[in-house]
Amino acid sequence: MKNIIRTFILGSALIAGSCTDLDVTPRQSLTPEVTFSTVDGYESLAFSTYGVARGFNSYGQQFMIAPEVMADNLRIIANTGRYIGQEANADRAHMGMWNTAYWSAINNTNIIITGIDEAEGDATLKTQVKAEAHFLRALHYFDLARIYGYEPGKEVGGFDKAVIIRTEPTLGFSNADFRARSTNREVYDLMISDLQAAIAGLPNAALGSAGVYRASKGSAQALLARVYLYDSKFAEAESLATQAMASFGLTDAGAGLLTPENYVTAFSSFPNPESLFEIEIRSNDWSGVDGVNNSVCSLTANVFPSAQFILTVTDELYESYEDDDVRKDAWTVTTRSGASGDVYRSNKWLGAKGDFLQNLPIIRASELYLIRAEARFRTGNAGGARADINALRANRGLEAVAADLAGDALFTQIMDERRKEFVLEGHRWFDLKRNGMDITKAGRFEVVPYSDYRLLAPLPTDELQLNELLEQNPGYN
Amino acid sequence: MRKVLLLGLMLFLASAVAFAQDRVITGTVTSVEDNMGVPGATVLVKGTTIGTATDLDGKYSISVPAGSNVLVFTFVGLTSQEVTIGNQTSINVALQPDVQALSEFVITSYGDQSKREITGAISSVKGDVFANLPMQSFDRAMQGRIAGVQVTSTSGQPGGALNVRIRGVGSINAGNDPLYIVDGVQLGGGASTSTQGDQNPLASINPNDIESIEVLKDAAAASIYGAQAANGVVLITTKKGKKGATQTKISIQEGIVQPLNLYEVMNASQLAGIKRDAFINAGLNPANAAAAYGNPEDPALQSYDWVDALYRDARLSVYDLSMSGGDEKTSFYISGAYTKQEGQIIQSQYERGTGRLNITHRPNQKLTVSANLSLAVQKTNGTIANGNFVNGPFTAGFTSRPNVPIYDEDGGFAPYPSAHNFGYNIVQGVFEEVRKGVAAQSVSNLQANYQITPWLSWTSYFGVDFSDTRDQNNRPSTIPAFSSYGGSAFFQDDRRLNYNTNHNFNFSKKFNDVHTVSGIAGFEYKGFEREIINATGRGFADPSLLYLQNAATPFAIGGNFTEYKRAGFFGQAKYDYDDRYTADFTIRRDGHSRFGEQNQWGTFGAASVGWRISSEGFMQGISWLDNLRVRASYGITGNSEIPNFASRTLVGNTGQYLGSGALALSQLGNDLLTWEEAETFNIGLDATVFNGRIITTVDFWRKNSSSLLFDTPLPVDSGFGSITRNAGLLRNQGVDIDVQTVNIVAGKFQWSTGFNITFLENELLELYDGLDRIGNSLIVGKPIQFWYTHQFLGVNPANGRALYADADNNPTYIVGESTLRYIGSGLPTSYGGLTNSFSYGPLSLEVFFQGQFGNLAGNQDQFNLENWGSGTGNLRTNQLDYWREPGDVKTVGRPYEGGQAPGTSAINTFSTRFLSDGGYIRLKQVTLNYTMPSATAAKIGVKGITAFVQGLNLTTFTKYQGQDPEVVGIVGLVSIGRYPNPRQFSAGVNLTF
Repeated sequence: MKNIIRTFILGSALIAGSCTDLDVTPRQSLTPEVTFSTVDGYESLAFSTYGVARGFNSYGQQFMIAPEVMADNLRIIANTGRYIGQEANADRAHMGMWNTAYWSAINNTNIIITGIDEAEGDATLKTQVKAEAHFLRALHYFDLARIYGYEPGKEVGGFDKAVIIRTEPTLGFSNADFRARSTNREVYDLMISDLQAAIAGLPNAALGSAGVYRASKGSAQALLARVYLYDSKFAEAESLATQAMASFGLTDAGAGLLTPENYVTAFSSFPNPESLFEIEIRSNDWSGVDGVNNSVCSLTANVFPSAQFILTVTDELYESYEDDDVRKDAWTVTTRSGASGDVYRSNKWLGAKGDFLQNLPIIRASELYLIRAEARFRTGNAGGARADINALRANRGLEAVAADLAGDALFTQIMDERRKEFVLEGHRWFDLKRNGMDITKAGRFEVVPYSDYRLLAPLPTDELQLNELLEQNPGYN
Repeated sequence: MRKVLLLGLMLFLASAVAFAQDRVITGTVTSVEDNMGVPGATVLVKGTTIGTATDLDGKYSISVPAGSNVLVFTFVGLTSQEVTIGNQTSINVALQPDVQALSEFVITSYGDQSKREITGAISSVKGDVFANLPMQSFDRAMQGRIAGVQVTSTSGQPGGALNVRIRGVGSINAGNDPLYIVDGVQLGGGASTSTQGDQNPLASINPNDIESIEVLKDAAAASIYGAQAANGVVLITTKKGKKGATQTKISIQEGIVQPLNLYEVMNASQLAGIKRDAFINAGLNPANAAAAYGNPEDPALQSYDWVDALYRDARLSVYDLSMSGGDEKTSFYISGAYTKQEGQIIQSQYERGTGRLNITHRPNQKLTVSANLSLAVQKTNGTIANGNFVNGPFTAGFTSRPNVPIYDEDGGFAPYPSAHNFGYNIVQGVFEEVRKGVAAQSVSNLQANYQITPWLSWTSYFGVDFSDTRDQNNRPSTIPAFSSYGGSAFFQDDRRLNYNTNHNFNFSKKFNDVHTVSGIAGFEYKGFEREIINATGRGFADPSLLYLQNAATPFAIGGNFTEYKRAGFFGQAKYDYDDRYTADFTIRRDGHSRFGEQNQWGTFGAASVGWRISSEGFMQGISWLDNLRVRASYGITGNSEIPNFASRTLVGNTGQYLGSGALALSQLGNDLLTWEEAETFNIGLDATVFNGRIITTVDFWRKNSSSLLFDTPLPVDSGFGSITRNAGLLRNQGVDIDVQTVNIVAGKFQWSTGFNITFLENELLELYDGLDRIGNSLIVGKPIQFWYTHQFLGVNPANGRALYADADNNPTYIVGESTLRYIGSGLPTSYGGLTNSFSYGPLSLEVFFQGQFGNLAGNQDQFNLENWGSGTGNLRTNQLDYWREPGDVKTVGRPYEGGQAPGTSAINTFSTRFLSDGGYIRLKQVTLNYTMPSATAAKIGVKGITAFVQGLNLTTFTKYQGQDPEVVGIVGLVSIGRYPNPRQFSAGVNLTF
């Protein structure tokens, strides 16, 4: 009997001992220790960050459309509930980027910038990836700052808060502290230093090459030129635009720009021959219904069956094109059931990669000419400004502007060129706002004065309630 | 695991050694009931540890030492008997049935115990209560029938999953599902197994195979299961064979399924009228409204009924066949069943075939081996539901524009305008899209029990819950939305393996006639593995081609693997003094792979005491009191229901960029993560009076859940939304009342009533870091699910705009953070059920009501259907009486195309306008049975015939604004596009041979 009991107890102990193994492995994930030991691991993090930009809340849709429909470039021709509030500039109907995807992209760049120096791998790639992270961090902060804050020097009522600055990575709970919004000056200074670091570390990319799918020295210079323009640092903006033109081999006369022959088709070739920085998309980045549901193509053109086609150019913009302007060809007249009269589909967004799919041009070469023209105008160089405008106009099938065009008329000309050049590329709202101008509206909608609270987007309620240090933008109850 | 198997086997062999002693008494133990031998009865020499068990014929042989003169015969379910030996060498005893104990006998996977001695809070429902109800899963059978258990549907899809909450919602972010154990097999869980339709993994158990369901509600009852027992434990025991002639049962049932409460929507001219006003009010050209919705003045405007095209009266069929029986050594139960139920929506369907073999064999007097084997195949033709889906019939069916034809002249599907529902013709979509989930599942076990001595036994148990689900989704190119890429096919295989094994000693010994000590000591190991692979292909030359081989483009692939492991040691000791005082102690130590390396192990336990007052001498004079007992318990159980790798910082895939894999941090880890604990107090009272005419159980309980596995929010600017921490304290408390009465017995007529109700409250007591609230989602002092929104004041008669209360309760048109306020709880404060059974001779009638009360429920279907004409789809007819001119006092405001007039908040701003009382009382079931007298039945060659007709979900009393207050759900507070429950009528016949 005792032997039996002894056997049992021994057996139980053995079973128990052999089966308390609790080791498990998450087989389709890695640990940070493994990922961040090599430059390749950091590069995959940079790829993930590029991928954030194609999101529909980012350049994949919202950034291409909202700044147009919130101003006077687009009108809604079918009410699906989308952008209805933005068109009317209704309370809280704005852009929203204060979300996990965008901030995690910034965290990715922080992880790269603070950690990659210790990683093993190719030194050249290490320098490039780190510089790309600086570029991407600047791009994300720039987009956040222009949605949620005023540009430096353009504050209404002295309100100078922009967004929260984080430059250290969140790798654990203790990093995720509550912070207050930094001033627009601080955020712009961070962008400028990031872009300077990016310029120093990035390789050159040629126009029309696959190099524009990643950040390059030239695209960093172009983005910095844009940042300086928003920052009213016009001399620096002019200088950086000139440097960027040199990096891409663009001449003062406009050689390298799209021509009237290929302006429209360029948006259906990849990369766009004029892209300085372009986000590549592949079909498996989208779920089976993303194309029809969420693509810019579906919202603005009727080339695919069941496209939504809810947006078209405002009559006022369409009528403002000069007769020979090739940019007018970016629109083709068509009809839409439920919308009376002629409407126009966009030829910039034809989904040429198939099933609504196409790449996203973020910075194009023509912007450099327009940045420099505006910077030169602001620094008293009207002649230089006219020369830059004329270089662009010559490549859009248009005559030079009047040789004595100056003052407000010249500035209006620059703004009009921007409006026509970048329609459906997400510049219009910001071009008006950064100049402290009222938001002009077309059709039945009323102008939004620059001093109106609706110029700044509301911060999300959940974040305001979680973080007591966070201040809502003025005017939101 | 192989080691365990080998060792287990070795132990049986090692212990199969006989031992012998001197003076011998022999005899047979029989049952008075059937005069058959009672196998496995205990024969004990009183005052010693010497004992034996009877063999399969009830025969025994025992050596009695000199000086001992009394034998004690005991068997579960029979009254113990003591016999003085005297000069006898052969003693035969006939044991009396202990009727009450027999009906309240609880089988745990580690050992059996009679309810009479249980000091924890346990409720049960017998299989015959829900046999033949056309419900696909046993969890639905518990609804309204067990005090303290709340069952709500997440979907009315036949075979769909349910939410079961035992004594409230005890966790904020970790799982709240109870632990389900079928004949000892710990099941994987309650989430749908299919991605193509709601499919309940618990439905692999045929409810007609179930003998009983026991629900362990407090820590004393559940803590033997330590881990995961915090949410309660549901024990399911399937039917076993009995010794005797083989019994065959056949059951056939046919019925219909109907929609319950469809929204009434506008016809074409009604919608065109409100849309025209919306366009005019917004300064838009009414001609555009007419172009989209038709001209309201046009007498020729055709109206098409989309709802009618989607809903139907559907069929249900249930066929069951079972055989059971046994001889001295072996008993068996075999069953096969087939059920098919169509849904109220076209194409929606559920089919299931099940087979079961339960077999027990006793090769010798000491060893018992048993196997319970089941195999089920469930096939669901699913429907897109539970969300605002343009391709889901529960939203698009109501919103599709009535002026748009469903079919073209040729009988094909007409194109739908792209401005609405993404151009999706919902009838075409539901008809042509294939959404199929086929799950094969086996919940099976092998068990061996060796009676080492009369007071000590050893159990080795192996259980497995294996399922393989094959999902198929074909989106043919004939549907315009899928034509741009030539249609798609998606196939997925989801394979899940749950296994658990336990090895334990059970002992039970009585000393000096009055002291009974019993207990369990053992070890358990559980593992779970799940592997998914899927592939999507696009570009099909013909829409009738469905398989990946036919795809022109291999579009996407996916796959992943996950696992967890859990180990535990447990011990339980019970002491019983003379059936008057009982005490019970349980301790369990569990380790789980989900937690941080240093914090994987947790210790749980419980203590409980019981006092049977009615057994005291001073109570013996009270003849009307049959039983009176008080119980008290305290204990701690654990919850580990979080994602398998929640404690780790992970870098996961985020797709590709430029053809290279992209990686990013997917979650922030927490090395310190450990068990969530539920501390439970329970005080219970059991009383039976008037010779069993009234049986009452009342339990007062409190459950404090602490160290909650809490997804504490992080500022989103950190790059992460939340991190799982052990934080917070949550209290559920309440009272469970169960009353069974026999009201009238008059000749052939009998009326009896069963009633149970639970009152409960839920309160968040603490957060962390001194916080008293987290945004508007959690507030200390409030329940964990509540509505925090804007107060809708009504429509301003002057201009037809919506008015809301501002921070000072003055009316305002624009809402913001300052106008948000606490409105009320989303959790019910009481729920229960009421059954009345009437019988008169061969006829019996059962009427069952079920209900819940006190929760505020949201209905987001109103976004689409009650947006005052501002949207793009059809509306409920309750929108017809809208504001038209100053002075109109209406509940529906001024239509405004686009939904947001300047200077107002959007019409569809969520507010109290979307909330209503979610309480309801539902007439769940009425069944009329006719049982043929056995003499008559015998004439036609059968032992018994019962015929029945029944109806389910017959009527509902509620103030809820939506379709079905049951599918609001208690996890999600929101209801949009839910699949409501159907009304069912069926008739059937049961034959016994």
